[in-house]
Amino acid sequence: MKHEVELIDGVESLAKPKLDTATRFEKRKKIYQALEDRDTTVLVDDDDPLESTMVLNMGPSHPATHGVLRIALKLDGETIVAAVPELGYLHRAMEKLAENKTYHEWMPYSDRLDYMSPYSNNTALCLAVEKLGDFKVPERAQYIRTIACEIARISSHLLSIGSMLMDSGAVTIFLYTFQEREEIYDVFDMLTGARFTVSHCRIGGVASDISQECVDFIKNWLKEFKKKLSDWRKLVDRNRIFIERLEGVGYISKEDAIAIGLTGPNLRASGVAYDIRRAEPYMIYDRFEFNTPVLENGDCYSRYLIRMLEMEESVKIIEQALKQLPKGDVRIDNAKQAYAWKGEIYHSMEALIHDFMMTHEGLQLPKGEIYHAIEAPKGELGFYIQSDGSGFPWRLKIRSPSFCNLQALPQMVEGGMISDVVVVIGSLDPVMGEADK
Amino acid sequence: MQTKNPPIKRIKLSFLERLYLPEIFKGMAYTFAQMFKPKFTMSYPEVKWKPKPVFRGRPVLVERADKTGERCVACGLCARVCPPLAISMQANETELPQERHPITFEINMLRCIYCGYCEEVCPEEAIVMSDEYDITYHTRQKAIMDKQQLLVPMEKVQARLDFLREYKNAVRNAAEQAVGEDAKK
Ligand code: SF4
Ligand code: SF4
Repeated sequence: MKHEVELIDGVESLAKPKLDTATRFEKRKKIYQALEDRDTTVLVDDDDPLESTMVLNMGPSHPATHGVLRIALKLDGETIVAAVPELGYLHRAMEKLAENKTYHEWMPYSDRLDYMSPYSNNTALCLAVEKLGDFKVPERAQYIRTIACEIARISSHLLSIGSMLMDSGAVTIFLYTFQEREEIYDVFDMLTGARFTVSHCRIGGVASDISQECVDFIKNWLKEFKKKLSDWRKLVDRNRIFIERLEGVGYISKEDAIAIGLTGPNLRASGVAYDIRRAEPYMIYDRFEFNTPVLENGDCYSRYLIRMLEMEESVKIIEQALKQLPKGDVRIDNAKQAYAWKGEIYHSMEALIHDFMMTHEGLQLPKGEIYHAIEAPKGELGFYIQSDGSGFPWRLKIRSPSFCNLQALPQMVEGGMISDVVVVIGSLDPVMGEADK
Repeated sequence: MQTKNPPIKRIKLSFLERLYLPEIFKGMAYTFAQMFKPKFTMSYPEVKWKPKPVFRGRPVLVERADKTGERCVACGLCARVCPPLAISMQANETELPQERHPITFEINMLRCIYCGYCEEVCPEEAIVMSDEYDITYHTRQKAIMDKQQLLVPMEKVQARLDFLREYKNAVRNAAEQAVGEDAKK
């Protein structure tokens, strides 16, 4: 997208939109009025039947929109003239809730953001709070987090690839990837105690240690998974029908991707090598050897392929992390920063008092603002926290990748065919729990 | 705006790949091979899944070892920490050695999100996550579990208590930790 620039008071600024806000609002209102309780509306311009456009409501409960996303599409025949994604159907006031909960209490809510990879959200929040308080988290906890985050990335990419292929007509792969996700749920069950809403990361560490049984299970699963991954790639990567369906669809250039604010695999598929794990290594990512796959094309096919490649890199990271897993505590051994050990609470008065204080008052963090972002499976997941020195965040803002990535949707589908919308959404991989917060 | 010919590098397919027939057979072979893999699913109500001690099922109150009542001292920590405010209780004095106990203790199972925080903060090891996951009710009222429904003997949750001691404690209390090959050296 080339921005038009104009001179306002001698300063170069972005040109004002052609339509002023009021007119745009009027136009939108007219479309929505026409759409009320109907799936489609045909608008005939100037009584000329050949000049008619159809407005189609896609979603909010459409199987291909991956949740409750609604897109109002203006169609000229089968070509999309305009597309407006409507968000907010899953709004649960996450950010406002956070203001009334201590950091610790709010942590389980972060599971419900991007529910395809809950562990990344847990980690992102904990890292942000730890950065604010300047906590030194034990290495073992960082390793457990890294392993779990990468497994969560695989889980998220598997769902994305499976559903994207299903959207484009290949249902079989969907079943294979879901079987694999079931295995991943077993891993999470063994590591955290819950299959889906893990709530395992804690501020200052993790809730429980990893068992030998779990380590062995992950190792065995990885072996199988690598084999399956290459099998799937042989099956799909160079499949003519698949390529013809996806190649060149939903194209977005490098410049546009940056301008819109795409992050994660969607950005890297457009040829920008930006991965927070490499650009600003957090936790212990600087200790591992892995590549950041970058593809140049920026179409749906590259967005599929980049996820496949990323899973291979994740496997490498997990293998290295399991190999290096050090001995040690899984939480900070300081009752002012994290919960005291259970064994101490039962026997020592001081630990008991800290337990009460931590629960009632929350963490005592310094005043200040902090932003910390991690490379979540969908892109840059950041938490911005404004602390007034009490146990509750004064303001907590979530920079969710799905929300930002969805902004690229109109540009990707406008001018394309209506059937492309489905694969473009699949390739963008939004999760509405995170986009609507 | 999309164009018919976006500036991308097209993938070059070989003749066989363009022919598509080999691809079909490849796919068929892979699918066919799946048939001889062991069955992945479980016939659920007949075959029950047995959770491991790490699993966080329904939170329950632990009975005292001498079976005279619950261990809970009604300190209210679990009710305070519970993120969805599922727990409510009323404290009172008692003849039991702990001197305080809850006369009513309710967990609204429709609210509970099985996060395990109550177990984590309890200073008396009085509330733990059991291995029960198959919980259904016919009315909303029945979903509110009272003290009698929550109370279970200690033997039933012994595995979980052992797990907590081993995996939620400082490393000096852990018997044996799983470490990587590189760290063993
Ligand atoms: S498991 Fe979590 S939600 Fe359920 S009662 Fe305990 S603290 Fe509350
Ligand atoms: S935290 Fe434990 S002792 Fe305190 S009220 Fe809850 S169950 Fe009872």
